[in-house]
Amino acid sequence: MAAANPGIATRRRRPVARAVEGQELALIIVLAALWLILSISTDTFLTSSNLSNLLYSVAPIAIIGIGMTAVIVTGGIDVSVGSGAAVVMVVVAKAIRDSGLPLAPALALGLAVGLVLGVINGVLVAYGGIHPIIVTFGTLNLYRFLALRLFENKQVTGVPDTFSVLGGGKSGETLGVPNAWWLALVLAAVMWSYMRYWATGRHWYALGNDAAAARLAGIRVKSRTIAAYALTGLFVGLAGIVLIGSGGLVQQNAGTGLELRVIAAVVIGGTSILGGRGSVLGTLLGALLVGTVTSAITLLGWRSELTELFIGVFILVAVGVDLVRERRRRAR
Amino acid sequence: MMRSKRATGVVVAGIAGALLVSGCSKKADDTATSGSTASGSSSQAVSVAFVPKLQGIPYFEAMNTGGQEAATDLGLKWIYKGSTTADPGAQTDIVKSLIQQKVSALFVAPNDPDSMAPVLGDAKAKGIHIATSDTDAPNSDREVFVNQATAEGIGQAISDALLEKMGGKGKLAIVSCGQTAANLNSWIDVEKKYIAQKYPDAQIVSTVYAGEDEAKAVSMAKDLMNAHPDLTGLIGECTSSAPGVAKAVREAGKIGKVFTVGLGTPQAMKPYLTDGSSSAAILWDVQKLGYLTAWAGKQLADGGSLAPDAKLKAKVPDATYDDATKVLLLGPALRITTENVDQFQY
Repeated sequence: MAAANPGIATRRRRPVARAVEGQELALIIVLAALWLILSISTDTFLTSSNLSNLLYSVAPIAIIGIGMTAVIVTGGIDVSVGSGAAVVMVVVAKAIRDSGLPLAPALALGLAVGLVLGVINGVLVAYGGIHPIIVTFGTLNLYRFLALRLFENKQVTGVPDTFSVLGGGKSGETLGVPNAWWLALVLAAVMWSYMRYWATGRHWYALGNDAAAARLAGIRVKSRTIAAYALTGLFVGLAGIVLIGSGGLVQQNAGTGLELRVIAAVVIGGTSILGGRGSVLGTLLGALLVGTVTSAITLLGWRSELTELFIGVFILVAVGVDLVRERRRRAR
Repeated sequence: MMRSKRATGVVVAGIAGALLVSGCSKKADDTATSGSTASGSSSQAVSVAFVPKLQGIPYFEAMNTGGQEAATDLGLKWIYKGSTTADPGAQTDIVKSLIQQKVSALFVAPNDPDSMAPVLGDAKAKGIHIATSDTDAPNSDREVFVNQATAEGIGQAISDALLEKMGGKGKLAIVSCGQTAANLNSWIDVEKKYIAQKYPDAQIVSTVYAGEDEAKAVSMAKDLMNAHPDLTGLIGECTSSAPGVAKAVREAGKIGKVFTVGLGTPQAMKPYLTDGSSSAAILWDVQKLGYLTAWAGKQLADGGSLAPDAKLKAKVPDATYDDATKVLLLGPALRITTENVDQFQY
């Protein structure tokens, strides 16, 4: 994979103040190459309906990924997002179907539910003193239990198209691009500048590099930690609404495995799983790469399970590159 | 510092691995067991347990309703217990726990027929009558398979319903679910052969697998429509991809251009049948399948014959038993359209 040489790219490109990190540059090149090849080899990839479908299916992963990037940068992880999305989806789907809740309050409800779940994660991580993967593994099961209880052994059918403006149909597009993807872009842009230029945003990196030193430097470690998880929860709320989209059916298995797809996008995007390094731009690119491969395999008529193969390879390459870079840094 | 960070990394990686494995085996012990009738405690009451592929979807809940109905009619204890994910490992655990409970007859709709066979063997060794319902485990020692419909019945009904709309010609694609699901694969085989034979001007251009994930089925169906702009038909092979392909057609604005038929449950398909994004849903009377399963369990436990008796015929008139293959058949497939969809509560 072309992602194998970002270390060299980084060193050469240092003068550019690293607006684009090495791994991001490599991803851009891989993506561009992939899109070029697909555009030439098929006459169906570069069509507006295909790109629209691709961007819509990637949007929820990208949106949660933006929050997940912050969490992983602090040295944490949140594996509960899939179950969290299920809770949001069942609560909101039932509210718009049974009480006819209109768009704005339903959106607020989804965000509020997501935020609450995120804050619970954040507080448990900040004050529990237990590794975040254990904490959120616990809440992954708790939230799934909660969701199943709310489903009451039935899937939610006949969900109205309240959120069709964020859905996968024509009414959810602006300039041929799904609104859900525009939303992901705007959120990513805001988050990118926040994590880059705001002091409180930089604190997340400090936390991930060395929490003890960060505390000595006067960073409010606990509140910054809670903020990262709460933000992720908020994004989970938003993603849940995008997943409901134009309505129809919400199944009990909603969101199952979503956490792994999100973490894959973040890791492929070059964010270090050890914390302290990464950016939402990379996550966006990682999500796009995963989405492109998934869609391309159907377009080319290849066997569906090849998707897993490619994603697995991407993750291993990305993590491998990260570890090599870490080792080099230590050797210096 | 670096050292401790690395150690953390190793821990994280290890736990993430464990998570991957265990994340797929969440069980729902919370609901389940809905025993009815027969005063409960007496050890003589026949208990019939049914383990669905997964719990909570309307399909298996409707089977449960039928089973409970039979429990009241026939005087048996009906136990319904499944996992919340269609995961072979989680299902095996549930079957093992039911073996411990010493039920009289144990029916399974196996997620993975081959890995279920030895577990059923253990149950048989403990004196439990073993059988399959909804999905067979051909390599097991099961005493009967309660079959909702023959593969031919389903595959042909789906093909005919779709090709009628497509005018007997054109390109179509199949969105299936689990790649290893034996019944889905047998229907796909029938569809391929039957369409090739009866509709020579029609062509199946692709078969894809979306898992039991509706959102993925929607996305893949759109990919298929993009990959084949002249596609006019889509088959949704299971209860999550049937509404999935219909939703894809609706969202792509191709109602009337691309027709879909799927194996779907009535209430989930109703909105799509109404707006025309789905032409028909093929199914069978799921509630009666549950009834038939419970009846067969009682017959096995009592040592009775599996040939339908008068009492069963009153509820399930089309049931037939084939002694050579040990298959108890519910009857022909059912076509659900806007006209009859409201007759079904699930």
